[in-house]
Amino acid sequence: MNRGKKIVLKMFVYFSVLSVLIPIMVIAIWSVSGRWAWPQLFPDSFSLRGINELFGGYSGAVQVLGSSIAISLIVALLAVIIGVMTARALVFYDFRGKSLVSFGVILPIIIPSTVFAMGIHVLFIKMGLSDTVLGVIIVHLICSLPYAIKIITDMTAVIGKKLEEQASVLGATPGQILKDITIPCLLPGLISSASLAYIISFGQYFITLIIGGGSVKTFSMLMVPYLQSGDRTVASAYSMVFICSTLIIFIVLEKTANKFNKNGNGGFFA
Amino acid sequence: MNKSRVAPYLLLLPVYLLSLLFIIGIGNGILQSFGVIPSLGLNTPTLDYYVEIFKRKELLSAIGLSFYVALASSLLATVIGVLLCAALVMGGLAKGKAGQVLKIPIMIPHTVVALFIISLFSQSGLLARLFYAMGIIGSQESFPSILYTSNGIGIILAYLWKEIPFVVFFVISIMSNISSTLGEAAENLGASKWRAFRSVTLPLCMPAIKNAFLIIFVYSLGAYELPYLLGATVPKMLPIQAFIEYTHPDLLHRPYAMAMNGIVFFISFLVALLYYRFLQHDKNHKIGRTNL
Amino acid sequence: MHYKTRKMILILFLIISLIALTGCQKSIDFDEKADFNTMVEEAEGTLVTFYGWGGDDQQNKWIDTVVTPTVKEKYDITLKRVPIDIDQVLSKLSGEKQANKTKGSIDIIWINGENFYSAKENGFLHGPFTHKLPNYEKYMNPNDEEVTKDFGFPIEGYEAPFSKAQLVLIKDAATTPETPKNTAELLAYAKKYKGKVTYPAPPDFTGSAFVRNIIYDIVGFEELNTIKADKAKIKQTIMPAIEYMRELNQYLWNEGKTFPATVAQLDNMFADGEVVMNISYAPYSVANFIANGTYRETVQAFQFDKGTIGNTNYLAIAQNAPNKQGALVVINEILSAEMQASKLRHLKALPVVDYNKLSLAEKQLFDEVEMGEGCISQDELLSKRIPEIPANLVPIIEEIWQEEVVKK
Repeated sequence: MNRGKKIVLKMFVYFSVLSVLIPIMVIAIWSVSGRWAWPQLFPDSFSLRGINELFGGYSGAVQVLGSSIAISLIVALLAVIIGVMTARALVFYDFRGKSLVSFGVILPIIIPSTVFAMGIHVLFIKMGLSDTVLGVIIVHLICSLPYAIKIITDMTAVIGKKLEEQASVLGATPGQILKDITIPCLLPGLISSASLAYIISFGQYFITLIIGGGSVKTFSMLMVPYLQSGDRTVASAYSMVFICSTLIIFIVLEKTANKFNKNGNGGFFA
Repeated sequence: MNKSRVAPYLLLLPVYLLSLLFIIGIGNGILQSFGVIPSLGLNTPTLDYYVEIFKRKELLSAIGLSFYVALASSLLATVIGVLLCAALVMGGLAKGKAGQVLKIPIMIPHTVVALFIISLFSQSGLLARLFYAMGIIGSQESFPSILYTSNGIGIILAYLWKEIPFVVFFVISIMSNISSTLGEAAENLGASKWRAFRSVTLPLCMPAIKNAFLIIFVYSLGAYELPYLLGATVPKMLPIQAFIEYTHPDLLHRPYAMAMNGIVFFISFLVALLYYRFLQHDKNHKIGRTNL
Repeated sequence: MHYKTRKMILILFLIISLIALTGCQKSIDFDEKADFNTMVEEAEGTLVTFYGWGGDDQQNKWIDTVVTPTVKEKYDITLKRVPIDIDQVLSKLSGEKQANKTKGSIDIIWINGENFYSAKENGFLHGPFTHKLPNYEKYMNPNDEEVTKDFGFPIEGYEAPFSKAQLVLIKDAATTPETPKNTAELLAYAKKYKGKVTYPAPPDFTGSAFVRNIIYDIVGFEELNTIKADKAKIKQTIMPAIEYMRELNQYLWNEGKTFPATVAQLDNMFADGEVVMNISYAPYSVANFIANGTYRETVQAFQFDKGTIGNTNYLAIAQNAPNKQGALVVINEILSAEMQASKLRHLKALPVVDYNKLSLAEKQLFDEVEMGEGCISQDELLSKRIPEIPANLVPIIEEIWQEEVVKK
């Protein structure tokens, strides 16, 4: 490739990076701004209102952040496990209703959450799952599984089964195959799916409200009202914590995963 | 392909269980669109709500607008996203800082994205202020209205910001995998980098690309947040109307909301079904080719 | 690796079970005939949930830092605020009713207007309960329209007043010295500041009230208050106001082709200087916004001469509330003179207690509150207060606006 082309490529990438970073920087500034009126390029005054609301102790935001992260991590873990199982069934086996299943798994994406939230709420009350952490985890799982299944299925199809079969011929046990071949090979896809499932769970608002009903509080439930009320200072402060905490979780996730995958590539921060 | 009898069903057990819950949930929701909500004293199924919605004259323009915005934003996002992916992979930047930064938008909720877009592109936004400071425009009003217009530019911009990274995210791990194995093999056999990409890497990534497109398309067809916050007052897309009916204090309006959602669902379902048939056909074809 | 993963999972589940445990609440049987003191005893050591809109940091802070510690100290009640919009509260109650859940999750609900009407009509609310509250008997004026009726709908003891709200218009005297005192002056104002005036599109709560206020100013309140809920009839009656709004359109922001979807958006447009006039249901919000630096010190609230719409918001109790005693004790405490005075001090929210029923010492509490800058005095505000029309007319007017005003 000649140099001219390479420069164009790089320009394109850097332009995209800037387009992502600039709005986030604006929000970071907003989170400590008081007033920022036309035509100022910088805020007229600063305010610690947002920081206070988050870390002042009275709103309980920090505790809620902790429990919210825990819930979303569990959702991510379950999504990956079920995702791998489903992907293997879809890629390696022929069975009745296969096309129905592979079509059906994307349904949760296309159905407005209000439609199934209301319906599933009544069901969950009868099953004793409403207002419980388990109930919230289950609905989050339903919302995030389609993505996990799609990613892992694509990955499984590309990698195929050859390596596993060879290992089996050489006398490896199923446990060894899983640990030494399947998981490392799929790792990039697994981390991607886990990250996406985490994000979807962490960002769910409406359905968490309906199923969790306030007994289960998540970070989004505290943040969204401020976004709706247009309080840019507090909303931006919440958004920054939302973004930063998610980044930290992903970096940790990545680091942990790479520990048992030396030649690892992929994942959210591949 | 394996033909084991029990294994696939065992593997699918969790998905079956969750799907069951999901289907019952939808069933209840759909039932509400036919006016069955026992807690409100509505017990007889009726088609009235659908009939009444179909009689509204703005229905077609609302559906048209939804289609236009969803199609424009998902097509653009897919094309730009794939190009960006290619640039990252070919420029060797996929694992660098750039690749990481590009994935941040995925984790940002849509309402926050609306906040971004407003603070940048509104007539008192940063861009307008920059132009004013540079003397390009003399007042706020001379900055072109990008948001709240009936051509939906503001909504599309917001979707692009959010969905281009989604496409990158969805495609890049597969693309870099393929490119580093098969793509490089092709290059060793004398193909140019670009040719290797076009005739080997890209076709193999197609299933993932199509999945990404489908997901964004059906999502933006049914979502209300961005159109609600960045769209014009009229015409209103169907999901916004559904949202307004849903939040209507009179709970007897709930069936209207559900019926509107039902229509959105039906359209998305149809699109997904058509698309899926086409994709499935394509996939078998591709697998056949790689096996050669 | 396996050991580590397992350890991580174990820790996660520990955290989760902790959350699950703290989320549980003991529910107690409720005896309709018990007197208030018995209820105070029974409520000791229990959890009460407070469900309401959570988008105002000042209000949230007041509940979290004033009400919560007070009820903890006085009654050993743990108050838990849950920031949820009223439509979701109604959804939840509707689902619980459908599933016959007799012990729900919601105790206190912050509610008013059409939502109250809907919740009460559908049997989602517990009551009547206000006669059981000593502070209600002590401080409320039973002849006050707003104590007996909510948007024209009889309350019948199913909710207790929480705060009074009143629509005010807001401008920055430094940018626009004029103060429109009626709709005719508003038109002139919009002409002069072409493209810099607008209002939120109904069904936004504030936008909808603004439209009604325009109608009152042109057609008159009585005309509308007595009308039947018939769309054609209403349209005919308010036609002069519709024509006014159509004429106004051409001078509005984006030429009235589009309106801000929410009052939140208008707030920000005003703060940024994109428009010159703001509208608010919180008459003293200006003082708070000046104090926290969002507005300049030259910003002022103003009213039309014929007055602006005022309404009261209330606290209700869910029919299937798990802790009705606790809810009653908390609501009673919120109605106390100390809490209402504290609310006035922290939030500048109009108190619901009847000033004449207060003791001298209690009056003192209210008198010493500094109302801050940019606001209309409480006497003037209340003297120009127009009640709400019956709740069932509101959606009809919103529909007519949608069909007849936008882009016309």
